[in-house]
Amino acid sequence: MNGLIIWRMLQEEIRLNTSFASGKGFYSFPILVAISGILAVTFSDELIVDMGYYEYLDILHFGLIFYGVFAGSLAFFGNEFLERIFGYLGLIIGLPTTQPISQRKITLLYFVKEFIFYSCFTLFPAFLGGLIGAYLNDISVMNLTKFGISLSISFLMGLSFAYLISSLYRISWKTSLLGGLTVVIIYAMSIQNMAISYSLEWYITGDIENLSYSIIIIILISTLATLLVTDYYEQGPIRTIGYNDRLKEYIHTFSWAKFYSNPIIIAKERIDLQRSKTGTKMFFSFAFPLGILTFMNWFIDKGLPIQIDFNTIFYGVMIGFFGTMIYSWLNTIDSPTFYSTLPVSVSDVIRARLFLFFTITWWIPLLFLTLIAYMSSEINLLPLGIVVMITVGMYIVNYTAWSTGLRTNSALFDAIVFLKFFVVSVPPMIAMTLISLAIHYSLSAVLIALSLICGILALFSMFFYNRIETKWKNETFD
Amino acid sequence: MAVISCSEVSKKYDDVLALDSVNLVIKKGEFFGLLGPNGAGKTTLLKILTGQIKTTEGNADILGMNIENNVTEVKRKIAIVPEQESPPSFLTPREVLEMVSSIRQIDKPKIDYWIEFFELETMEGRVCRNLSRGQKQKVMLAAAFISETNLMFLDEPFINLDPIVQTKVRDWLVTYVNEGGTVFLNTHLLENAQRLCDRAAIIHKGKIQSLIKMNELEEQKMNLEDLFHEIVL
Repeated sequence: MNGLIIWRMLQEEIRLNTSFASGKGFYSFPILVAISGILAVTFSDELIVDMGYYEYLDILHFGLIFYGVFAGSLAFFGNEFLERIFGYLGLIIGLPTTQPISQRKITLLYFVKEFIFYSCFTLFPAFLGGLIGAYLNDISVMNLTKFGISLSISFLMGLSFAYLISSLYRISWKTSLLGGLTVVIIYAMSIQNMAISYSLEWYITGDIENLSYSIIIIILISTLATLLVTDYYEQGPIRTIGYNDRLKEYIHTFSWAKFYSNPIIIAKERIDLQRSKTGTKMFFSFAFPLGILTFMNWFIDKGLPIQIDFNTIFYGVMIGFFGTMIYSWLNTIDSPTFYSTLPVSVSDVIRARLFLFFTITWWIPLLFLTLIAYMSSEINLLPLGIVVMITVGMYIVNYTAWSTGLRTNSALFDAIVFLKFFVVSVPPMIAMTLISLAIHYSLSAVLIALSLICGILALFSMFFYNRIETKWKNETFD
Repeated sequence: MAVISCSEVSKKYDDVLALDSVNLVIKKGEFFGLLGPNGAGKTTLLKILTGQIKTTEGNADILGMNIENNVTEVKRKIAIVPEQESPPSFLTPREVLEMVSSIRQIDKPKIDYWIEFFELETMEGRVCRNLSRGQKQKVMLAAAFISETNLMFLDEPFINLDPIVQTKVRDWLVTYVNEGGTVFLNTHLLENAQRLCDRAAIIHKGKIQSLIKMNELEEQKMNLEDLFHEIVL
């Protein structure tokens, strides 16, 4: 029976993914991953020379642990967002409400399904790509297989950590925070003076004990997570009454924006943003990638033989790029289905959300950039950083809105859409990052180059924005 | 005057033919029912007629306008209650009605009247996310009724409503049609259809199988349920 449930869950996962990305796009994703695997192996020698062998291994394992945490978070916390976008979704994990199967068992099966799914669609294709790369570059296949196993274990550790956090979150968010921190601290203490994961330590030293430890840790974490799942789960008290009618007030507030978008829709979206408390979630979703970025900065500084000093302008580029996340959050607050009963078009709603992005949610990136500039003692670079951040943000968010409409998250699951997004976003970011590194050598040249790129990006922003109407006006909300 | 007209309308979802060359004309002032078993194509046709999805083939006009070329204009002139109750999660019922009347530019909207009509006063200050399914359905109906349009599309509007509100809604719809409005009602509740509709179509496997005038059915002393079973089974 368990095998059948896992099989059905896998089918459900694939059908869910192909329902919001095109089937072609979804099935192309493993091909993209395999190509990345070939490239990673092909360029591994250069990277090892640049970064150092152990740092290179550490960073790859670190990435896989985070990938596991990300995939697990999406799996265990993502359903609420899916329901907000698509309306009610009945998934197999909800079976215990009507069938004689315990919540604990179904959650464990769901965890197993997640590992199989990601193994099949990302880890295995990456390994396959790696094998091709190994064949082309005359690298030992045995060694690569061992490395693949080590990476998979790191991924599974990240996944089991997300599973534990979700089980603790069922108790309360405070428990999940406390429990999560405790696990991280214990783990950090246990790996002192060794590689970032026990599986990597096994790969480096060949000591089978470390392989056993890495598997035991996963079993321990996932067993604890499973035991914490109970059948009686009651949500904490939610606010049900006492909302003041604010629509008219907001329509009045945004009446000046009528040439940009419909003030009524802006008002509705503004209220959604406020009452769903998405602003707080946006804030934390910014803190997470920025934390990783800061860590990478520190890591590269430590690993590279030359000193690279990422400055406020570089962070301006990155934070501007993360604007996509804010726009994506705005698309997850509530299902747009109701709009289909009204004389409004998809483009009206997109423009209202863009308006909110450019006016209401800018405090989040601005706050982060100011904080980074202050901590780096680069307040003098802050105005320039802000200009760069706004330009990059406008460019990337207008492109995201134009290309993905109201379904940003699901559209980016489509390999073709993702590839286009990559092509549009990465080159200007690399160019601006490289230019920002030269700020201490020739300020005037950097200013000219940045102004030029910002000008081009602003023109493209207008181009994408103006195309939104044509592309989305006659699309349906369905 | 025809307010709804479909000519050879077909809709395909991958390999599934949900609608197969549907032809239909509905005149102003009619109470029209579209009946059929689950999965017959009722909601698909309603979604096409209200501009929520596009046809694969054929042409559909509402109030003389081609829907696909005039989606927003068509929606301005019709009211819709979709199959699934989905009022905005984070607005209160009053805010939903305020939003609808603002978007539709209704002068002096009767918000208090509809709140009272649907007994939503006790829900004031609650956001729709926290309402029961029946209460959400009431908000959807209120949002349609406040729209002051002359053409109304209702997809299973009585589901989840308590009997008292069902009666009120039925009575209001009869008055609405008597005053010149047109109703397109999707339902599989045959009793409601027989009680309310002037004319009905039975759809099965994506095809209109029969067009029925209720008075003729009565004259022939036939029962809608028997006819339905005869066609569908």
